[in-house]
Amino acid sequence: MRRVGAVAFNTYRETVRERVLYNLVFFAILMTLSGVLLGQLSIRQDEKIIKDIGLASMDLFGTLIAIFIGVGLVNKEIERRSLYPLLAKPLAREEFFVGKFLGLCFTLLVNVAVMTVGLWLTLAATGRRPDPHLLAAIFPIYLGLMLVVALALVFSTLTSPALAAVCTVGVVLVGRFSDVIRSMREVAPGVPRWMPNGLYYLLPNFRNFDFKDRVVYGDPVSAQTLLWVTAYALLYVAVLILGGLAVFRTRDLQ
Amino acid sequence: MGSTPSSALRIRGLSKSYMVGHLRRRPHAALRGLTLDVEQGEVFGYLGPNGSGKTTTLKILMGLVFPDSGEAEILGCPLSDRLWRYRVGYLPEHPYLYDYLTPREYLDYVGRLFGMRADARRRRADALLDRVGLSHARDLALRRFSKGMVQRAGLAQALMNDPEMVFLDEPTSGLDPAGRRLVRDVIVEMKAQGKTVFFSTHILSDAETLCDRVAVLRGGELLATGRLDDILRIDVQHLELLASGLSAEAAEHLPHVRARQSVGERWRLEVEERGLGETIQAITRAGGRVLSVQPIRQSLEEYFLREIGPARAAESGVVD
Amino acid sequence: MKRPAILALPVLALVFWVQVRIDRQLGAARTQQDVLYLWSGPHVRRLFPGFEGLAADLYWLRTVQYFGSSRAFAQDTRMPLLGPLLDITVTLDPRMEVAYRYGAIFLGEPVPLGAGRPREAVALLERGAQALTDNWRIRQDLGFLLFLYLDDYRRAAEVLLEASRRPGAAFWLKNMAADILARGGDRATARQMWRQIYEQSEGVVRANALINLQVLEAFEQADRLTRLVEELTRRHGRRPRSLDEVRASGLLRSPAVDSSGTPFVYDAETGRVRVSPQSILHRPDRESP
Repeated sequence: MRRVGAVAFNTYRETVRERVLYNLVFFAILMTLSGVLLGQLSIRQDEKIIKDIGLASMDLFGTLIAIFIGVGLVNKEIERRSLYPLLAKPLAREEFFVGKFLGLCFTLLVNVAVMTVGLWLTLAATGRRPDPHLLAAIFPIYLGLMLVVALALVFSTLTSPALAAVCTVGVVLVGRFSDVIRSMREVAPGVPRWMPNGLYYLLPNFRNFDFKDRVVYGDPVSAQTLLWVTAYALLYVAVLILGGLAVFRTRDLQ
Repeated sequence: MGSTPSSALRIRGLSKSYMVGHLRRRPHAALRGLTLDVEQGEVFGYLGPNGSGKTTTLKILMGLVFPDSGEAEILGCPLSDRLWRYRVGYLPEHPYLYDYLTPREYLDYVGRLFGMRADARRRRADALLDRVGLSHARDLALRRFSKGMVQRAGLAQALMNDPEMVFLDEPTSGLDPAGRRLVRDVIVEMKAQGKTVFFSTHILSDAETLCDRVAVLRGGELLATGRLDDILRIDVQHLELLASGLSAEAAEHLPHVRARQSVGERWRLEVEERGLGETIQAITRAGGRVLSVQPIRQSLEEYFLREIGPARAAESGVVD
Repeated sequence: MKRPAILALPVLALVFWVQVRIDRQLGAARTQQDVLYLWSGPHVRRLFPGFEGLAADLYWLRTVQYFGSSRAFAQDTRMPLLGPLLDITVTLDPRMEVAYRYGAIFLGEPVPLGAGRPREAVALLERGAQALTDNWRIRQDLGFLLFLYLDDYRRAAEVLLEASRRPGAAFWLKNMAADILARGGDRATARQMWRQIYEQSEGVVRANALINLQVLEAFEQADRLTRLVEELTRRHGRRPRSLDEVRASGLLRSPAVDSSGTPFVYDAETGRVRVSPQSILHRPDRESP
């Protein structure tokens, strides 16, 4: 366990020093600030726009960070052979893999926290009260990001970073269109009956993590709902990690 | 497998093939039925040209690659065991250490993986960096290191746990003479401490100076193991003498000389051992100077070419 | 090439010039294209899974900008994109109250201040009422719109009554509904409505309400002036020849101008005072008989 923590901490250090991270965070904050400007241009929407933009940029940029850093996590280590001296140590491959995952998750946690503070500050600067209810949308967003990391990690054990990025983006997009998939037969009646439902349950359903509209309109979000959504995220992540481990454990590192 | 307590490494029948080619993939045997023993306290050289399977062997031992068949034990433990890893160090070929870390941070990370305590990690890291001559750069990001400096840092991480045995893959590659000297010193130190060193190289002089025994690998197969002298069949009756300052005529008339060859301004003479003293006197009288005297041995390359023949030598010339 | 940067500047100027020519060429065709390429609400909704709220905000922003610039600059004052933009906005976010309410006014207000399509405005508000079942303001606006733009007094009263039953509804809604049922469409009620709209809104809608209040005020003034003329006629036995006479008689203290500063028009033959056709407050379609 301590070794997993050591890998996680090092991964956090590694990702935090990646310049792409800062660029993305910078843009996220910029987007949130632009919400102030847009609020001026629109009618009666300033607080809503700031919240919408703030949450959307957390979701969007968090996903981009998760994908672009996630796909390089494992195969960069293999390609550059930085893994070699480490695996000779008493570090099991499983510990390494899980440690990488946790490290990036922690980095994302820090990012989300920074962006949350940025959003609250922006709201405060325009004279609104920072709204703790926003956390009911931010927490599910973070769960979704963890799922994206797990996806990126699994794809990165299977193929090159570029291809893994494409695959991850693909799955994430399809996962967001889960309702379209479910009602696929409306558009394409020839599709066999099991397919829409099968795909719907199999693919990660990112709509589960979208509480933004509800929270911005002040609707309550029940703790029970959040619990179920958390369970979904953790279970799906577990499936992905186990799958990734199965591949990673027996792979020859050329 | 029934290993004796003094056995540091036992390999039995290790084999590994890779698929090569893009459209028509065919198997390429990297290792064929390797069987090998290394005793504790030995300095063991693993020799062979590029592509002979040296790195593959090390990768299998370290668990980076899985063999098709065969088994091995390190320090009496099976490969899959975790315990031996606490007692062993590994320096891969062309090591890549995270370039966003400083060597201190890297060694601290390694120390954590061994479960060392924070103060122990710090002390050991500083001591090691000192030993490998990187004290001045210990807070510099590894990104800025020269190849030689990275190699030294790699050596440091291999020693972080004060191992009983080290596996070094081409440890002197990329090093300047001072660096090579460092590696040799470290190996000698370890031997003096009764530790075991297993290092692979294609540089003969390193093996010569350091190894107790060697194994010679070619095309994935073990060609020979034993003392280097035994393998290369040194001619003990003759010695090789390098001299300078001799005219061609003077060289012609030196006594006890079996063969002579001019190498630039110098002469390479093969001298009968029992007449060495007289030959040296003759050289001095002729106004020349003796530069060195050493046993006659063929080069490793000559040995390979002779043992295998040019055809198979070409076939085995696959890049590692 | 000695200094590529210097060469770049005149080329850039050429780029600008070409752009101007392109705009001139395509200008007329562009609006048409815009309508064609603007997708329907459900399709646009598909594009932004997980970001519908933000997309709705941006489409609302676009609607507001479109409305503003159409009023100011457009050749075609019927604002063909307004309907589709509003449709997309409320499809993306069916709970965006401001889009229904303000959008209805943009649609319903007669040209040139609005798009002049009150039936579409009614449809929009009905959609909003369905989406936001407890919202009294949308129903209030629907009632106002039926009254002010479509002269459908009976239905307006029904809707206002419905509005009064929603939680948090303003207390005067019921009375207003009763007044409409009793008196039909009268100016006092209309003024109340515009007053409410004025107080409840901001920006361009508020300015619009103010203008409408001034229009009604101008009618009032004109009627008052007409009554003064009648009074003077009774006193002198003949119609005054101009409004200056009325002023001179002392019955009228202030100048006979409407709130835009335009003098009223007096028809000496009929004795009627009207809002001048030159005034911006002139509304021939709304004058009482």
